Amino acid sequence: MTSFLTAFFSGTAQGAIYALVSLGLVLVWRGAGIVNFAQMGQAMFTTYIASQLIQHSYSYWSAFVIALISGAALGALVDLGLMRPLTSRKNSQLLNSQSMRTTIPVIASLGILGVLKALAGIFWAGEERGFPSPVAPNAIKIGSTNLAITGFDLFVIGVVFLTLVLTTIFFTKTGMGLAMRASALNPEVTRLSGIKVGSVRTLGWAISGTASSLAGLLVTPRTNLSPNTLDLLLIVGFTAAVVGGLTSLAGSVLGGFILGYVISFVNVYSAPENVFIAILIFLLLALFIRPQGILGSKEVRRV
Amino acid sequence: MLAISNLVTEFASVKALNGVSFQAKPGLITTVIGANGAGKSTLLRTISGLERASSGSIKWFDQELTHKSVESIVRSGIAQVPEGHAVISQLSVGENIELGGLFRKRIARGDLAIATKEVYELFPILYERRNEAAGSLSGGERQMLAISRALVSRPKLLLLDEPSLGLAPLISAQIISIVNDLCRATGLTVLLVEQNANTALAVADHGILLALGKVVADLPAKEMIADSSLRAAYLGY
Amino acid sequence: MSKRREHKIIGLRSTLLSIALFLFFILLSQQFDPYNQSQLANIATLLIAVLSITLLTGASGQISLGQGAIMAVGGYGSALLVTRLGFSMWISFILAIFISALFGLFLGLAAARLSGPYLAGTTLVMALAIPSIAVRFESFFSGDVGLSVDYGMPPVWLTNLVGEISIEEWSLYVVLPFTAAALFAVLNLSNTRTGRTWRAVRDNEVSAALSGINIQRTKVIVFVCASGLAGLAGALYGFRGLVAPSVYPTDLSLTLLTAAVIGGLRSIGGAIFGTFAIVFLPDLIEKITKNLAIPETIGNYLPALTIGTLLLLTVILNPRGAAGALEHIRHRKKH
Repeated sequence: MTSFLTAFFSGTAQGAIYALVSLGLVLVWRGAGIVNFAQMGQAMFTTYIASQLIQHSYSYWSAFVIALISGAALGALVDLGLMRPLTSRKNSQLLNSQSMRTTIPVIASLGILGVLKALAGIFWAGEERGFPSPVAPNAIKIGSTNLAITGFDLFVIGVVFLTLVLTTIFFTKTGMGLAMRASALNPEVTRLSGIKVGSVRTLGWAISGTASSLAGLLVTPRTNLSPNTLDLLLIVGFTAAVVGGLTSLAGSVLGGFILGYVISFVNVYSAPENVFIAILIFLLLALFIRPQGILGSKEVRRV
Repeated sequence: MLAISNLVTEFASVKALNGVSFQAKPGLITTVIGANGAGKSTLLRTISGLERASSGSIKWFDQELTHKSVESIVRSGIAQVPEGHAVISQLSVGENIELGGLFRKRIARGDLAIATKEVYELFPILYERRNEAAGSLSGGERQMLAISRALVSRPKLLLLDEPSLGLAPLISAQIISIVNDLCRATGLTVLLVEQNANTALAVADHGILLALGKVVADLPAKEMIADSSLRAAYLGY
Repeated sequence: MSKRREHKIIGLRSTLLSIALFLFFILLSQQFDPYNQSQLANIATLLIAVLSITLLTGASGQISLGQGAIMAVGGYGSALLVTRLGFSMWISFILAIFISALFGLFLGLAAARLSGPYLAGTTLVMALAIPSIAVRFESFFSGDVGLSVDYGMPPVWLTNLVGEISIEEWSLYVVLPFTAAALFAVLNLSNTRTGRTWRAVRDNEVSAALSGINIQRTKVIVFVCASGLAGLAGALYGFRGLVAPSVYPTDLSLTLLTAAVIGGLRSIGGAIFGTFAIVFLPDLIEKITKNLAIPETIGNYLPALTIGTLLLLTVILNPRGAAGALEHIRHRKKH
């Protein structure tokens, strides 16, 4: 029973982080039709910024906020500096072919990933370092009995829950949220409504950058920080997004939590070295059984 | 007044519009008719900025529209209702309408509320179904929604692309007559593209006949209806 | 021109080009020291894998971030056949093609109905998962230690024929016939009707489907062919000495993709150029860092930085890569 509860709570906390990553991927995919493989590279970079600030005796929370802001800025920069010029070029013969229009941004995002990792290695020597958390990672005690949940797990779940609530309010209650959903669903009608679809997309990249930056801050106290630490997170986040249906924001969050439980239960009841295989099997099963995802719809999937 | 002169729009060196010139007078309905592929939709899409003109000019009073972005054209009071009842079917009816006025939210919040109330009065069925997904509407209701989305932006020029396409005759006549009433009551300028020449000419003040990207006739609507040789030559009936 | 005649000409051209490539590598190796000879063998090996990407992405528009993982499948396949079942090296190379093609079939069936990014992500997951499979089933795949395999010694008839040859030269001689054959196959495929079908799918799926092409089947077939090639490359790559997870890291997949992209995804000449670039670039950078006395902590990351920058510059300046740039210049001169 205790191991079940441990698996459940740590699965919830991990799943919360995966949900952020997956949400970030889906936001950009819906808005721009691009899977941003550089996303966790951006997050790695902003987490290094936070780590650097903390080393220079900034407080955890000011470093936290600055990392989130740089996450947003980096996301917007990737869109404005690279993706928008790339996808708007119509004359290039290569981009006239349909499949190349999806392939070229993927390659570009891999280029960014490579550059960010190399830069992080050069700036920060690339050695693995720890990253602090504001809450001690000990199990919570009531009286003398240890609960199966740690204070850090609670912190992660709390922060992500708050983020998801704010995101939901943003998308369902504000005009900008409506504009964002509309741009993703039908750019032409949205432009004809006088909305600057390009700027809305850039905002999507910025929010995605912030979400993944947050994921980086929340995961590194456990995993430590190096230029490659967050690669795994991208893979899991991608799988979560596919399971959730790539087009659905709610689905992406759901997919994140499902992956959290799968990985956590495999860790507790099987062995850590089975985690990768479990992810691969899970992804292939999802693709074979329900390629449109749990909440994705078939007709809106981009070809 | 909308003044179009020598407008050329090309798709991969095919001239969909090949030197189109005409004027649409303010407060009146001008209809553009012609066979399939005559360039009617391309004309509207070029005016609204969705397609880029290769040469020529589009002027709305003294504003040059030719190379402006879609957003800024919409913001200067020109709204297009695109072909095929274009609404966002995954959004609710209310959200579709809200979307049309979104850019005015900061500049004219009060008037936006009035405009929204007016379109709901114009199409009460949309108010009843405001919380349902736009995809669940019938074809006629979708067209009403598409027009409402355009109207809440308080346009001075309304571009309508084949509003009767795929609708039952009774419903399309109802929609056209609502547009007609609106034009007469508010002084809205309307540019109506139609394949169904009879329906369009019946309400229009002026008719433009397009064929292969060129204007072949530019006449008051009454004269165009009467000219059976024109219709025989270009519309085939 | 009749179809048969066209095929004959294409066949002749591919044969001549493949022989030319073969001779070019042999002649080049005569100028090189042993280290660069082994680098040349690496190029000949990796070229097969890069050609598999040219085939997959350039000809049908699918993108794989996991060609390295498919190489691992071929590598493990052939190494197991040789070490466990006592197969001859040459037969194991041929069988590696079929093993990885079969693997590609399974993967292709999962991913072919999906658009580019799905395939990219799925293959990336695979690239990360394959090493852990080798560790998980340690008794079978020998875990992190891996399986030791090598090209063996040059046969007597060859040394009688051309005199004493070094291990490095022998590795080149083993690989080159396969490289030439792979080039021949890719040239033939991309110039025949099959190749045109693939390009139609690449350029516009809807219109390809309307002209009666079965999109999903075509995509799966391309994926299977590309996997077979990558598997062959993986087998040859492993027989340099070791088949282990560390031989086929995720970075290998990305490096291969880089080679294909910077050379030009649609050009076979570009694939050759790109492969030379990715193999010799790290050496070149190392030389420069040594000469400029750049500290190792920075120097270690310069190859990755260069490759990332090259990828970005290519997609920004000329998505058709070096081959596209060359064509552009030639085109300009004509006018």
